[in-house]
Amino acid sequence: MKKWLSMLLLVSMTASLLAACGSSNTAEKGSNKEESAGTKKVVAWAWDPSFNGAALKIAEDLYKKEHPDFQLEIIDMAKTDLEQKLNTNLAAGVKDGLPDIILVNDPNIQKYVTAYPGTFADFKEKVDFTQFSPYKVDALRIDDKIYGVPFDIGVTGMFYRVDYLEEAGYKAEDLENITWDEYIEIGKVVKEKTGKYMATINPNDEALTSILLQSAGSWYITPDNKGNFVDNPAMTETLRVYKAIADSGIAKPVTGWSEFVGSFNTGDVATVVSGVWQIASIMDAQDQSGKWRVAPIPRLNVEGGVNASNEGGSSWFVLEGSANKDLAIDFLASTMGSSTEFYERFLTENGGVGSFIPAFSSEVYNQKPEFFGGQAIYSDFTRWSTEVPGISLGMYTQEAKDALKNELPNILNGADLTQSLANIQKHFEQQVQ
Amino acid sequence: MRKLSSLGIHLFLIIASVVSLFPFVWMLIGMTNTSSDIVKGKFSFGSMLQSNVTKLLDMTNLGAAFWNSTLIAIIGTIGTLVLSSMAGYGFEIYRSKGKDRLFGLLMLSMMMPFAAVMIPLFRMFSNMGMLNTPTAVILPSITTAFMIFFFMQNTKSFPRELLQAGRVDGLGEWRLFAQVYVPTMKPTYAAAAIITFMNYWNSFLWPLIALQTQDKKTLPLIVSSLASSYNPDYGIIMVAIVITTLPTVLIFFLLQKQFVQGMLGSVK
Amino acid sequence: MGSKWNKSSLMGWQFVLLPSALILLFSFYPMLQSLLLSFQSGKGTVYQYAGLANYSRLFSDPMFKQAVLNTLLYLVVQVPVMLMLGLVIAYFLNMPKLRFKGFYRTAIFLPCVTSLVSYAVLFKSIFAVDGILNRMLMSIRVIQEPIAWLMDPVWAKVVIIAAITWRWTGYNMIFYLSAMQNIDPSVYEAASIDGASKTRQFFSITVPMLKPIILFTAIISTNGTLQLFDEVVNITNGGPGNSTMTISQYIYNLSFVYTPNFGYAATVSYAIVVMVAVLAFLQLKVGGEKQ
Repeated sequence: MKKWLSMLLLVSMTASLLAACGSSNTAEKGSNKEESAGTKKVVAWAWDPSFNGAALKIAEDLYKKEHPDFQLEIIDMAKTDLEQKLNTNLAAGVKDGLPDIILVNDPNIQKYVTAYPGTFADFKEKVDFTQFSPYKVDALRIDDKIYGVPFDIGVTGMFYRVDYLEEAGYKAEDLENITWDEYIEIGKVVKEKTGKYMATINPNDEALTSILLQSAGSWYITPDNKGNFVDNPAMTETLRVYKAIADSGIAKPVTGWSEFVGSFNTGDVATVVSGVWQIASIMDAQDQSGKWRVAPIPRLNVEGGVNASNEGGSSWFVLEGSANKDLAIDFLASTMGSSTEFYERFLTENGGVGSFIPAFSSEVYNQKPEFFGGQAIYSDFTRWSTEVPGISLGMYTQEAKDALKNELPNILNGADLTQSLANIQKHFEQQVQ
Repeated sequence: MRKLSSLGIHLFLIIASVVSLFPFVWMLIGMTNTSSDIVKGKFSFGSMLQSNVTKLLDMTNLGAAFWNSTLIAIIGTIGTLVLSSMAGYGFEIYRSKGKDRLFGLLMLSMMMPFAAVMIPLFRMFSNMGMLNTPTAVILPSITTAFMIFFFMQNTKSFPRELLQAGRVDGLGEWRLFAQVYVPTMKPTYAAAAIITFMNYWNSFLWPLIALQTQDKKTLPLIVSSLASSYNPDYGIIMVAIVITTLPTVLIFFLLQKQFVQGMLGSVK
Repeated sequence: MGSKWNKSSLMGWQFVLLPSALILLFSFYPMLQSLLLSFQSGKGTVYQYAGLANYSRLFSDPMFKQAVLNTLLYLVVQVPVMLMLGLVIAYFLNMPKLRFKGFYRTAIFLPCVTSLVSYAVLFKSIFAVDGILNRMLMSIRVIQEPIAWLMDPVWAKVVIIAAITWRWTGYNMIFYLSAMQNIDPSVYEAASIDGASKTRQFFSITVPMLKPIILFTAIISTNGTLQLFDEVVNITNGGPGNSTMTISQYIYNLSFVYTPNFGYAATVSYAIVVMVAVLAFLQLKVGGEKQ
């Protein structure tokens, strides 16, 4: 009998220990809920406290002027963590714990809306979408509904070191309106005259191929979600250019984000083709102030190829089933959906560029930072943003990128491109069955 | 000859130690530098420590996360040691066909990738109303086939005569376990405690899903969100990493004596 | 004796029941659910019954095949090297007269507590094209041109294997060290008096005495390697191409990176379970549970 007693003791001890820390927290949680019912608290998930998290704080600040009892709780997590948590919650059908507002990376929009039907709220009647860059709105429109408020954009530019290019004998106008082949030729001269690389290349990262494709209005998949590798001139040209850059020796190989940032912070490369949000990382190297400028990116030599593209960008969604749905929608619509003041502050405080066209003419967007030699970079970027071809990102972007990634080493080793593209197409179809 | 081989052993261990320690030195150096110096690979101490620490404390609620992690790791480790050693003892000392089969079945549980059971497990805790509590983080791994297996294998060398002697002295089964087995197995408990503490302390996937509010987050969740920003500040990240790493190192320091003293010595 | 054994074998259940029940509840119940899911196909929350379609898909899936081959390569090359290294180090550190062992022990254990973030940033910078390793190798003239470690399918695998070995050798060492305390030092003394060399002692005393623990670490490491995820995601993210991708990373991609297909992800997970179970069974047979 004694042993059963001691076992019981042991078990109950463990249980009570667990219960102790469990119950105190459930009690706390309960009170949290009451509070949220009383005072209008909206919960939002975002992934970068110094960027999109900061944007929410600005919006909260603005919204509170009209609605003093409004409360916003921001939960920060890594982008991949956020996506994983959202998928788990939605797939498990567990409603408590989901926020009212989430940030969605643009290539994921169609995927979420299709995989979890009825989960996200329609904004069509809530926001005047004619005020936003059309390509951002295109990404949000599915079956005559518009599933969120456009947020930051990744309109691309070619950041360049004016000192290196001058040393190689190039002036600003030599970099306007060029093709990628001309870019490579310039790169060879830069390499020869200055010893610096023109660019970086990372075969593990699809950023460059994505930029090239969108600049010609094309994408890895077609709007009806089929692979877009075979018989696609933009794709063929993209991969030809990619291989040409890799073969020309003008690109420094890098394998990750920190190495990439390191390549321009240490002054190893003459140009960085990237999204507007890269400004912050470039400006980190304070010793390079005044040495940087921005030009439009080179274009693909195909029909419809322009000197503008996009890399990344995200939008705000509201969950249809959230308790504070209407409040969350109103909060987003009256700040990021219509307030010039929001976008001015977002740029001033966090260097963020949105797609809200009325804000582009404001003074803040016309500032001329010393770091970029007094160039009105934001006004340039926003002008290019209106030229970015609108594309449908579809729901299988990641699958298609991985199919391409699988074949890329062969392409770089000189395999027949037509055959490689057929392989990629087949691989992709295999993957999305 | 003897000297020579001992020199060789030292040389081997020194190389192994240097290779092992290198990242730590780098981490400690990184803590004192700016993000762009770290990216450039600067390998000397800088003067940014204070500023990095201040920024980190500003950006995150580190105190709460530290407390959450500590609570989970300590309660989880105690629970795991008690339950797993019980089971390991039971399965090995009182072996029978039925128990062997049951153990074989339990082993299957550790072979399943966690990502595949996460969604049903999440639904289960939601139904129990336990999401967003430390309990939810602790319970799923409070007994693992892994730790039971570890105790079983170590119990194979446990001198069973001690149990017989205890029985002669009139000790009951539970007292035999608590008064004879547990003290004898100190080195095993110490190793198990280090490993379990580390597993709880560093666990990531499940806490990420089970914890929902900012105030309940654990340290690894904080580090992960710092590292994924558009313009990650590696100086701040290094400080967070050092703070995250220290407690496990401390536990190791505290417990390692237990398994170098020698079991036979500790019985007496 | 016989009756006493029966009685005590019945008694043993009281130690076993509660822990087993907890594992059944928190592991087997979700595992059954995911087994059911493996017979369904669809996206996100939109599913229909698909019979064995997911299982037959496994055999025609090039990504899965690639992931299995990569993972098995890690297993075959890395696990034996790591266990041997761990065992040898533990043996040295257990020598009664060795000096500075506290320092060595701590240093070699440390890698397994490192945060993955720092470890990934560091490994990437060491193996960068103009990283420390290339600079060192070039200065001692082992190579003429820098090697693009993480961009070459073969070298990338070597880096991953080095990284796992670096991180987990100390971990296995702990198991060996604690188990070595069960060996009576007088056994070694007797062997020394008989004139057995250290190497002889290692193979004829240490290894046989540690057999249960070596078996344990072999099974655990096999399991760990077949579920390998963190190192690969953080250091190479599966690249170049998909040449370092593991099965677990594939499961993760299917669930959270691609358009979510939890049914197929569950199927791939069961493929891992079957592989580990078969290997563990073989190891138990070979490792001699006979005693």
